[in-house]
Amino acid sequence: MTAWFQTQLGDGLGWFVANLILVLAIALPLMLAVAMIIYGERRFWGAFALRRGPNVVGPFGLLQSFADGLKVALQEIIVPSAANKALFLIAPILTFTVAQILWAVIPFGDKMVLSDINVGLLYILAASSIGVYGVMIAGWSSNSKYPFYSALRAAAQMVSYEVSIGFVLLGVVMFAGSFNLSEIVLAQKGHIFGLVNGFALNPLIFPLSVIFMISAMAETGRAPFDLTEAESELVAGYQTEYSGMAFALYWLGEYANVLLMCALNATLFWGGWLPPIDWAPLYLVPGIIWLFAKIFLGFFIFSWVKATVPRYRYDQVMRLGWKIFLPISLIWIVLISGYLMLTRYSA
Amino acid sequence: MVDLSEYLPILLFLGVALVLSSLFVFGPMALNHVTGAYKPNADKLAEYECGFPAFEDARAQFDVRFYLVAILFIIFDLEAAFLYPWAVSLDKIGWTGWFAMMGFLVELVIGFAYAWKKGALEWE
Amino acid sequence: MIQAFAFYLFATMLIASAVLVISARNPVHSVLWLILGFFNAAGLMLLLGAEFIAMLLVIVYVGAVAVLFLFVVMMLDIDFAELRAGFVRYLPFGLLLAMVLAVEMIFAVGAWKAGSLEMAQRLVPIPSDVPNIEAIGDLLYTRYLYVFEGAGLVLLVALIGAIVLTHRARGGIRPQNISEQVKRRPQDATRNIDQPVGQGVEL
Repeated sequence: MTAWFQTQLGDGLGWFVANLILVLAIALPLMLAVAMIIYGERRFWGAFALRRGPNVVGPFGLLQSFADGLKVALQEIIVPSAANKALFLIAPILTFTVAQILWAVIPFGDKMVLSDINVGLLYILAASSIGVYGVMIAGWSSNSKYPFYSALRAAAQMVSYEVSIGFVLLGVVMFAGSFNLSEIVLAQKGHIFGLVNGFALNPLIFPLSVIFMISAMAETGRAPFDLTEAESELVAGYQTEYSGMAFALYWLGEYANVLLMCALNATLFWGGWLPPIDWAPLYLVPGIIWLFAKIFLGFFIFSWVKATVPRYRYDQVMRLGWKIFLPISLIWIVLISGYLMLTRYSA
Repeated sequence: MVDLSEYLPILLFLGVALVLSSLFVFGPMALNHVTGAYKPNADKLAEYECGFPAFEDARAQFDVRFYLVAILFIIFDLEAAFLYPWAVSLDKIGWTGWFAMMGFLVELVIGFAYAWKKGALEWE
Repeated sequence: MIQAFAFYLFATMLIASAVLVISARNPVHSVLWLILGFFNAAGLMLLLGAEFIAMLLVIVYVGAVAVLFLFVVMMLDIDFAELRAGFVRYLPFGLLLAMVLAVEMIFAVGAWKAGSLEMAQRLVPIPSDVPNIEAIGDLLYTRYLYVFEGAGLVLLVALIGAIVLTHRARGGIRPQNISEQVKRRPQDATRNIDQPVGQGVEL
């Protein structure tokens, strides 16, 4: 596509137009996906609690999120008088920007990736480590005590789980031999005796995928780790002072991050855009459909957990991250590297 | 040399994402003024408190353990940073490299065990 | 062309945010400008082709070091007048440091103009076709083994030092002991007695 535009519009402009279209082709459907997934999650919770969930706006309530969006867009945005006004408005912008740019390196199919960089996984780690600032700036700039305490909690929690995520990802990287996400996907082809596409069914990696999933929940501040917005103690956490669309941006950002974590889980452990079984007819289905199916399944697990598991206490959250996940992932690094040295590299 | 053209779309994406997110914040703010939803008053603009004026400065002192977590995180993040190149070059560095990393990990585990014994990882 | 544009964008932003770090009145703003500065430095690293270093700069400095800075600064009780006074007092020292840096830069540029020594190139030629993360890995754990283990020791010392300096054991807490909770059996906590009618219970 880039080549076609470049012949039409010249080298520089053609490149720009083509890539702008590609970027918008990720960013805009992402927002649509977030809107639909919020609707989907509310239907799930309804089903878990034997309720109906949203079913009035549009057929089956499908337009519920758009109605909510319109309502929120028309609401007043309050900037508290004690707040640091510029930072107060920058914080949600930062959160939502980070949630979007992370998608630049996710491969949606064979060669279907916006920027195929060598250190794709490190890019994800780097960009997601900025996410903590959206929360911290919000908490500090609100100049109100509940957001402030919540921001501290959130920062310490996200930082703790980033450690275990970093170590967990190493296991996958060692098996794939690359940080490039496209190569990681391709390395999973026919992983187990040429049958299954995906690392997760390998007994050495499966525990890591479980740790990753749980850490992802903690990293995105989802239940059961939603200490940062524990309403019985911290009102609405760092979002307490936000209203209208600024508040909704945190909501959108959270769901975009959850979707990204599901996409990463699919890409790193479940074969990404590859079909689940390495069998030729399955490759006729476009890879993007497999990827979306895997993301959706991961998201279902997220909302299942949110609907059924009670919230952790803060000391339990920290204990899980530092005293359980960190030692396990360290041991697993030794195990996997030892296994690979003995079987793959010792010749 | 690294192919920099792969990074350009990220820069473009960053620009687009910034514009989109800013639109989401400032667009509705402008709309507020048009529709008349924007009606601030002193009570509305005061910081949130459970029905009374705030007693004290919101930016209070907090527990030193939050620093300790941040420091521990820096150290473990650096250790992870040393692991990244190792993970992708296992095939070339062989057993020498593997044992080198095991030595490094032993140093890491000693520190970790010390932190655990001292109760630096305890929260109550 | 676009690389030159990106370079000037990153460089200008880096210098501007560096100036704002020291001129911002509020220390929290300073740290936030510092973070923006780290970012642009990472962008410059990327332009040099050092993609691993660029990502590491963001992961370690933005993701970890600046979080600690922010924690420290957010808790400070800031006295602006005292800060201003300190500015005047440390000005000569600061100027001296700036002069030393400037001289160093002039030397560096001069040395670069004189032609490269290519010492590093002779020791270990930079491979052109491998991603530089793998190129680093090939050298770090074999040729530079002792330096690498030394770095591990430095980190160990830092970890222990941090705990010694900041950790305070607090009395009167009752932490949860999970293994004890799990091990506890009904007979440890309760007992069944055959209570005769009309008599008190012996506790």
